[in-house]
Amino acid sequence: MSTLSRIKWRAVGTTCTAAATTGIHDELRARVALEAAQEEVAACERELSRFDSDSDLTRLNAGAGSWQPVGRRLLETLRLALRAREDTGGRFDPTVLPALVAAGYDKSFELLEERPAEHADGWCAGATIELDHRRGRARLEPGTAVDLGGIGKGYAARCALDAMLARAPSLPGGLVDLGGDIAVRGETPEGGPWHVAVSDPRRPGETLAVLALAEGGVATSGRDARRFGPAGSLHHLIDPETGEPALAGPLTVTVVAPDAAEAEAHATTLAIGSLAEAEAHIAARPHLAALYVPHAGPPTPLGALPLETPRLVVSLA
Amino acid sequence: MQRIWIVVMSVWAMLAIVAVLAWASHPVSTASPQLAPQQVVVKGANGKQHLVVLKSSTHATTATSAVARG
Repeated sequence: MSTLSRIKWRAVGTTCTAAATTGIHDELRARVALEAAQEEVAACERELSRFDSDSDLTRLNAGAGSWQPVGRRLLETLRLALRAREDTGGRFDPTVLPALVAAGYDKSFELLEERPAEHADGWCAGATIELDHRRGRARLEPGTAVDLGGIGKGYAARCALDAMLARAPSLPGGLVDLGGDIAVRGETPEGGPWHVAVSDPRRPGETLAVLALAEGGVATSGRDARRFGPAGSLHHLIDPETGEPALAGPLTVTVVAPDAAEAEAHATTLAIGSLAEAEAHIAARPHLAALYVPHAGPPTPLGALPLETPRLVVSLA
Repeated sequence: MQRIWIVVMSVWAMLAIVAVLAWASHPVSTASPQLAPQQVVVKGANGKQHLVVLKSSTHATTATSAVARG
C-alpha cells in the first residue's frame, strides 16, 4: 500500500508543495526526493527572480544592451518564453516588465506601496532577446527588461518534479505545486491520475471543478488576486498591445498543457482576451484545454478538459 | 524429561517475545483515503450545462497565484 509524502514551504513569493507517492519502506527515499524538489525551486529562484538583486535575471535586465552570462535555467526559461511569444502572436510577451513597473508592480507583491500608475515611456512590445546557449549568455535589446514571474513558476514546478523523480527513480509518481502552477507525473497512491481542484474565484474556498491528470501541467491566471494601486483597481496582467493592465479578459482562466510552463504562458495569454478569442486559441491548439471563468455567467470548458469522472447529467428542465 | 520441557517452554517464550516485538515495531500504514470526487453536470431550463462538484478529495488546487504572507 502507498501513501503520499508531502513537504510544504514558502518560496518564489508563494506557498509551495511537493508530494511523492511512497511505498511503505520508501519514506527515507521520498524525503530525500522532496528535498531535491525544494533545492531545485531555490536554484530556479536564484536565477529567475526579478526581486533578488543577485539573480541572473536582475543582472540581465540591468545590463540590457550587452551580453550577460546567465545560468541554464534562465536560458531555458527565456527560450520557452520566446517560443510562447511566437506561438501566441505576441499576446504573451516576457518583455512587459517596464509596463508592469510603470503600472505600480515595482517590488515583491507583499512590499508594494500605493502610488499613481504611469504609462511606460516609449512602450514597445516584442523587444529582441538573443540567446547564446553555447556560451551560456543572453542579450536584451537596450531599454528592455524581462519579467518571468508566471512562466518561471511553471518552469520551476516542472524542474522540481524532474529533480524529485531523478533523485529517487523508484518512486511511482509525484506532484509539485508552486502557488497554483502544478506539474504532475506518474501514479498517485491510489494508482490513478492526479486530482487537481480548480478554485472558484467567485466563491473563495469553494471548488469549481476537479481535473484528472496522469501527466502534465496546470496553471491559472486571473485578476482575482495580486491586485494593487488605488483601492486595488489595478492588476498584474499587462496587455502587450497597450502596455497597460488589460481591460478585457475573464476573472480567471485555468489551462491544462503537457508542460506547466506552457500552461502558464497560455493562461496568461487567455487572461487578457475575450471568450471568443479563447475559444479560437484552444481550438487551434488541440494539446491544450482550458476552463474560462468570466466575471459573471457560467464557466466555459474549452477543448478536451480532463474533468474527473464519474459525471452525471441532471436535467432541471 | 523435566529438562526437555524447560527447554521447550523457553523456546516458546522466546518466540512469543520476538513476535510481540516484531508486531510493536511494524510500520504503520497511513494510506490516503480513497478519492471519490463526484461531479454533476446540471442542465438548466435554458439548455446550458453547469458543473457542480458535490464531493471532492484532491491532491492539489490551482488558483491565481496567491502571495505567501507571515
